[in-house]
Amino acid sequence: MLQLVLSGTAMGAIYALVALGFVLLYNATNLINFAQGEIVALGAYLCVFGAAALGLPYFGTLAAAIGAMAVLAPLLFALAYFPLRNRSLLAGVVGTIGIGITLKNLFLVVAGPLPKTLPVFLGGGQVELGGASLPLQAVIVIAVAALVFAAHFFFTHHTFTGIRLRAAAQDREMAQLVGVRVNAMMGIAFVASCVIATVAGFLVAPIVFVSPEMGLPLMLKAFIAIVVGGFGSIPGALAGGLFVGVLDTMTAAYVSSTYRDVFTFLVFILVITLRPTGFFGERVSLRV
Amino acid sequence: MKRHALGAALIAAVILLPALVESRYVLFVCDLAMIYAIVALGLNLLMGYGGQISVGHAAFFGIGAYTSAILSVDFGWSFWTALPASLALSAAFGLVLGLPTLRLRGHYLILATLGFGEIVRLVLQNWQQLTKGPTGIVGIPPVRLFGIALQTERQFYYLALAFLALALVVTVRLARTRMGRELISVRDHELAAELMGVDTVRVKLFAFSTSAAFAGIAGSLYAHMSGSISPDVFTFELSVALLIMVMLGGPGTILGPVFGALVLTALPEVLRDFKELYLVFYGVGILLLSIFLPRGLAGLLRRPLASG
Repeated sequence: MLQLVLSGTAMGAIYALVALGFVLLYNATNLINFAQGEIVALGAYLCVFGAAALGLPYFGTLAAAIGAMAVLAPLLFALAYFPLRNRSLLAGVVGTIGIGITLKNLFLVVAGPLPKTLPVFLGGGQVELGGASLPLQAVIVIAVAALVFAAHFFFTHHTFTGIRLRAAAQDREMAQLVGVRVNAMMGIAFVASCVIATVAGFLVAPIVFVSPEMGLPLMLKAFIAIVVGGFGSIPGALAGGLFVGVLDTMTAAYVSSTYRDVFTFLVFILVITLRPTGFFGERVSLRV
Repeated sequence: MKRHALGAALIAAVILLPALVESRYVLFVCDLAMIYAIVALGLNLLMGYGGQISVGHAAFFGIGAYTSAILSVDFGWSFWTALPASLALSAAFGLVLGLPTLRLRGHYLILATLGFGEIVRLVLQNWQQLTKGPTGIVGIPPVRLFGIALQTERQFYYLALAFLALALVVTVRLARTRMGRELISVRDHELAAELMGVDTVRVKLFAFSTSAAFAGIAGSLYAHMSGSISPDVFTFELSVALLIMVMLGGPGTILGPVFGALVLTALPEVLRDFKELYLVFYGVGILLLSIFLPRGLAGLLRRPLASG
């Protein structure tokens, strides 16, 4: 039981990170980013490339991938996301789906269809924890994810840029009036979202295969996490991610492993219809 | 006058096409495009007229296809008896999805339709006894009409064309009825529509189930045309393609979705040799479409179009 909860938590921590990246961008631009999964995949590919081609050590891979993403993300923002910012809901959805399709097939062209793996450097061992034994990889996942959430909290509450970021997300016009450069804030939010996605890709790469197809399932799980936690809420992304991870593992163990995704989606539809605001949702559930 | 002449020429070309075209392959693509056009017309009712976005429409198409396939293979029903069942079941699922999502707007509705699409795909893939799992159902008999089995692409062409014409007539008629106008009022301003006495619940449920029924009919045609179906057809990617068909032609227009279906079915076939690169450009094309032409090609022709 404890074993299941712990391994569910590790998977959930990854979903929570994917969800955090999504929510950051949503709050800043109101875009439902259907390409979030592919951006995570891009991060994972960068890690695989760093490890295989450059022979970097474990955390060195992550640092290099974040560096590369910090160069790529502003480009992607300027070319693809910025022009979508004030479009209708439909155009935003379809546009980001287009970005996702582009990225996915670029992976296919550049890296080929065969799945790649990120070697497990330190994660080979097991850690004993209160009667349950957990792979070291899972412990790293939980620790790094916790660190990212803490860093995000610190950034948005204790730095000037972070506070301006929150102001722009809360009320765009008001923020503009007091001198916040709203468009620049959108860019910063997007780059932050991509960096978090890279961390998620780095953590998930040793667990699932890195392939062009890896994005969609991650994105779907993150969507469920976001809705369960409450759309647009950051504590919600964390709580929802962990909830989905644990629910997933529990269903697979006790109900049915074939139907575990069906079960998770049913819970999702139940939440969306009975309590669309989730655990800690937007105050306005219906935006007219 | 010029418009009428153009229209007549178009209709004549569509009717004469099988006599003029030798290639069975081209006719196959046309058949498929007409089937997708029926789904796109249904989605257009929901999206273009009703303003509700669905990214799970492949599910209704799949429900229609599987209903027909199972009834005809396992129970020996003919196409003509299986078709109403496909229609009814898809429409019923439309209601099932419509009911709980009535309160939802915008992004919640999109995610709910996405979840619904995934549930249906997973059930089709895993319910071995009923759907034969990932391998799918084979040996679906062709449609029989007046004792003739419509086996070739050429024979099937007119059947698909007849159903497409029916779908077009229903769309045109509907847009001019009270229900059609109520639907548009819900799209343009739901609150205002409600204040004017429009029963928005009834209108939205109607849109959901009619839209699903269109997809169900198309699914049934698809099953009997291809003879075999498997769950890997009814994916999120197909739902997205259907959405793009409507958006490319122009949401809320009559012929737009048909044109979109033709382009999106033919283009990957024409560019088959560049498969992966084609998909990269497909993605970029979708992005450009949503940035520059969110009202589709019809938006280019008629600038002032009342749409939200």
